[in-house]
Amino acid sequence: MVKNSAGFDSNHRINQHAVNEMLNNGMLLLTGESLPERTWKSLFKTDDIVGIKVNALGGREIATHTEVVNAIVSGLTRAGIPEQNIIIWDRLTRELESSGYTINTSRKGVKCLGTDTDYDPSPEMVGSIGSCFSSIVSSLCTALINVPVLKDHDLAGVSLSLKSFYGAIHNPNKYHDNHCDPYIADVNSHPYIKDKLRLVICDALTMQYQGGPAYKPQWALDYCGLLLSRDSVAIDRIGAKLIEEKRKEKGLPSLKEAGREPVHIATAGRRGLGVSDIDKIELLSV
Amino acid sequence: MDNICTRRDFFKCLSQGLCGLELLSHSAILEKFITPSEAVAKEDTLLKEVKFYKKLADLKIQCEICPKKCEIADLERGYCGNKENRKGSYYSLVYGQSCAAHLDPIEKKPLFHYLPSTTAFSIAAVGCNFECKFCQNWKIAQYRPEQIESIYLPPHEVVSLSKERGCPTIAYTYSEPVVFYEYMYDTSKLAKREGIGSVMISNGYINEAPLIELCKELTGVKIDLKAFSEKFYKDYCSGELKPVLDTLKTLKRIGIWYEIVVLLIPTLNDGDQELTQMCQWIKSELGAEVPVHFSRFHPMYKIINLPSTPIKTLENARNIAKRAGLHYVYIGNVPGHEGESTYCPGCGEVVIKRIGYSILKNAIKAGKCSNCGWIIPGVWGKA
Repeated sequence: MVKNSAGFDSNHRINQHAVNEMLNNGMLLLTGESLPERTWKSLFKTDDIVGIKVNALGGREIATHTEVVNAIVSGLTRAGIPEQNIIIWDRLTRELESSGYTINTSRKGVKCLGTDTDYDPSPEMVGSIGSCFSSIVSSLCTALINVPVLKDHDLAGVSLSLKSFYGAIHNPNKYHDNHCDPYIADVNSHPYIKDKLRLVICDALTMQYQGGPAYKPQWALDYCGLLLSRDSVAIDRIGAKLIEEKRKEKGLPSLKEAGREPVHIATAGRRGLGVSDIDKIELLSV
Repeated sequence: MDNICTRRDFFKCLSQGLCGLELLSHSAILEKFITPSEAVAKEDTLLKEVKFYKKLADLKIQCEICPKKCEIADLERGYCGNKENRKGSYYSLVYGQSCAAHLDPIEKKPLFHYLPSTTAFSIAAVGCNFECKFCQNWKIAQYRPEQIESIYLPPHEVVSLSKERGCPTIAYTYSEPVVFYEYMYDTSKLAKREGIGSVMISNGYINEAPLIELCKELTGVKIDLKAFSEKFYKDYCSGELKPVLDTLKTLKRIGIWYEIVVLLIPTLNDGDQELTQMCQWIKSELGAEVPVHFSRFHPMYKIINLPSTPIKTLENARNIAKRAGLHYVYIGNVPGHEGESTYCPGCGEVVIKRIGYSILKNAIKAGKCSNCGWIIPGVWGKA
């Protein structure tokens, strides 16, 4: 975890330079490399098609900040990945635009687009789910970086890394029962995601600890952090803990007491998607 | 621009009977009829507030259209995927958005006791409150509005096109009309004023209050009774049986014309015991007069490992229903089968002979068998 109080400037604008530095420091710590360029090279090949999955659902205030994505793109290109091999994506073009992203579907430069109508023609069955996956995930990308946000979710408890991949299937509304469990784990178990996911960078510049998934300013705060991991489950466990701690500090009931314990994290752990036991997670902070 | 036609082209083709846009969304025809600008234009400007929901704390709402009673946070959608909570108000995203438009024989719905040989102007909007693993129209029913191209066809245009094409009925069909309730309700109400009937082709998973209000505007209903076990409804439809049975009882109480369809899927819902219980329930709760159609399943969506329903299975179900005392039992999706025709319970004569969607003979006069005078229930004259 990297924190830097300079993430926002005095006008409450995001400080791109500070974000770049946070990401560099985080990547160095995560990969154990000594030079920033090597960090990205250790995870991606120059011929990879890298999909950067953002969470654009809640609008500009609570979506993945464009500055974080800029820093990621900068790291990837410095490592030799051509801009045209990088795709910033989420479910809908409309939501990306409303969150401050500039759509680019041309052959030149970093692409940015929503899946919109481009889903695979037939459903894939994984565990209890049966969904058509975004062709961006199934056909275009060879590697994925998930860049979720740090926020509360009305049904799943939290919407972090694992939940964010609901944006990769055509029918997420069918999988909201039982706090989205075991459906979130099932989606993440599909080889399209499990085998392609190389890195998770949780944009924790803002934290929303209640009232998600929509932006609720009364329950959102500047957290000025980034969480980095190669393990979706571990990062969600840590993120959920941060949200729980903030809820306690603010006098709110725990997520379990609120009837929406994020049980999908443990389920994902049991599926072998990562480490859900907090005692077995090594948290390094900068 | 060669491949792109405007809505005017669409209407022109429709009025000339050139295009029945079946499952418009996935048809190759689609690209001809939807321009990108229209696909974008449908956003936001056409939001319609949902008729049945209540507001909860913290900008949440609870949908009251169907028994799922989804509680939905701000910016989230219900199970149907076509309604969204926006800052504490609940909106339909598919009002006036037709993803399919077709001129169908009424027999295709199927409604066999409802204005035989007439055409229904049939429309659908994206979404469903079930997720049947065998969904026959999953490419519109199991998607969200943004994922499927639709055409703007507001209620007054549906009614006007129906009149223009000489359709006595508008059918809300293909996907699940319960989840585009507001579109269906307003269109039906307008159609009624113009002397055009409306039929809902539905899974019957709807709460009583919206159903009763809707039926004031409808002239007929077809209900899919998926099976006669809660387990089947839970495992294969993500729904419940009891509310559907309640809907059937409500329809009987109201007195609106309705028919039942049972899609028989090999090994899943075709057991003798289950079918016997189903037919006995229909007889005791709804009466012998309600038409029941046993339809043939074909592998689809998530159930592709089972064969099409054997004809003998359908015949067996028909025999069970007749033994239970039901008078009008049909076999569907088997063109040319004798079970497609209507037989008079009084004299046994064929009163309506059908092959596929074609009527070869209609011997019903003033609602009675022309041979023996037995009253055949249904909507035979003006709806």
